[in-house]
Amino acid sequence: MRNAIIVDNISKRFYIPHEKKTTVFQNIVGLIKKQFDYEELWALKNISFKIEEGEAFGIIGKNGSGKSTLLKLLAKVLYPDSGSITLNGKVASFLELGVGFQPELTAQENVSLYSSILGLSHKQVDRIYEEIFDFAELKKFENMRLKNFSSGMYMRLAFSTAIHAVPDILLIDEVFAVGDESFQKKCQSKIDEFKAEGKTIVFVSHNLVLVQQLCQRSLLLDGGRIVTMDHTEKVINDYLKILQ
Amino acid sequence: MWQYRELIRNLTAADLKNRYQNTSLGFFWSLLSPFLLTGVLYFVFRHLFGQEKYFAINLLVGIMAWRFFAIGTSSSLGAIVAKPSLVTKVYMPRQILVLSNVLANLISSLLEFTVLLPIIFILLGHLSATVLLFPLVHLVYFWFIFGAGLLLSSLYVYFRDLNQIWEVLTNVLFFCSPIVYPLVIVPAYLMPHYLFNPITQFIEIYRDLMIAGTLPSLYNIASVIAAGIVLYFAGSFVFNKLQRRFAEEI
Repeated sequence: MRNAIIVDNISKRFYIPHEKKTTVFQNIVGLIKKQFDYEELWALKNISFKIEEGEAFGIIGKNGSGKSTLLKLLAKVLYPDSGSITLNGKVASFLELGVGFQPELTAQENVSLYSSILGLSHKQVDRIYEEIFDFAELKKFENMRLKNFSSGMYMRLAFSTAIHAVPDILLIDEVFAVGDESFQKKCQSKIDEFKAEGKTIVFVSHNLVLVQQLCQRSLLLDGGRIVTMDHTEKVINDYLKILQ
Repeated sequence: MWQYRELIRNLTAADLKNRYQNTSLGFFWSLLSPFLLTGVLYFVFRHLFGQEKYFAINLLVGIMAWRFFAIGTSSSLGAIVAKPSLVTKVYMPRQILVLSNVLANLISSLLEFTVLLPIIFILLGHLSATVLLFPLVHLVYFWFIFGAGLLLSSLYVYFRDLNQIWEVLTNVLFFCSPIVYPLVIVPAYLMPHYLFNPITQFIEIYRDLMIAGTLPSLYNIASVIAAGIVLYFAGSFVFNKLQRRFAEEI
């Protein structure tokens, strides 16, 4: 099996200034008063792991353990301070649904915008266009502006567009934990489908049942370091021990 | 960048639709402001410079050329900050956000100049063949503004009062460029510094091509191309350095 994701000894550091300077004026005042104090926070330290193609891989940990930072590094939104990340294949990151949606545009226009953000070509969008609106059950509203959508309709449209993207690697944050019961069922069956198709999935969640169901292997983070990386069952046991 | 061409096109289209509120009349409404401004400036300054040849047309061309720069830079200043989810939630080369913004401005500007052509024809009685070179110059101007946009948008992420500073600077620059007054009133001892302003060079080229019907001097052309290249590379350099921490700063 080829590796879909290789994470080699990455670290990520955040600077948290005591007084955040966001303007030229504040920076000049800071220079005069000589306020340069900041805290250094290692959000992740010396993280290494490999994920095989077609594997579903979970990342769990307490709040502030570095899960989201790790996922953002994989999504190439953040840059590591040291180490390297190799991704083999097309990546779609679902850190949020409906990225780039604009309220003033119609549903139709937003769908084509969002699909191109997810890396779909014009021709691909044309092919799946009907499917997206059927799945979202919003065919009647395709020419309505997004600002007139209810939040439920908004989520359905975003989700329906997102799942029609065709990546090799999916990075999923808690996003699929929104919506009502039936919506969540749809999400789960779609993720199962992705898994059956042999896509690589990296899944960050607090929902341990879902992680156990979906992922063979998982990673437990605490304070930016790897505690355990093993079969999901064992990792969840370790996590529950930490929580106590 | 080529593989993102559809995304660039969609973002540019979305930008234009937002600007013109999805109506075809929206563009004509947007023409109101430059023509009103030209009208006002004409009535205020005609006693001073009214004897100058083609004062009204010169003013009109100057305003249109200026608008591309002023609106292009001030709207691309917020190109990154205005779309936080595209920066923090998904990967794309972030230059795209600035590029699509400046492209939308390029299209607006091209439309404005297209409206200008029949007006010049009516006022002058003819159109020179040199007008055909306009797209080439506009391409250089576009590159120049894109460079400025890269520089401003990346700095704005870290310095949120840059928009106010830039507004003051553009106002100063407006009066340091030969828009409302002819170049000849600039004192000789100031001229070398004055011509250092690339906007002056651009405006003079547009007037040569569209009104006088003469080819711009080689010095003119060389200096705007040089300005475009320098600003683009400076902007790219700063942008690439700063964009690594965009997601943390927004």
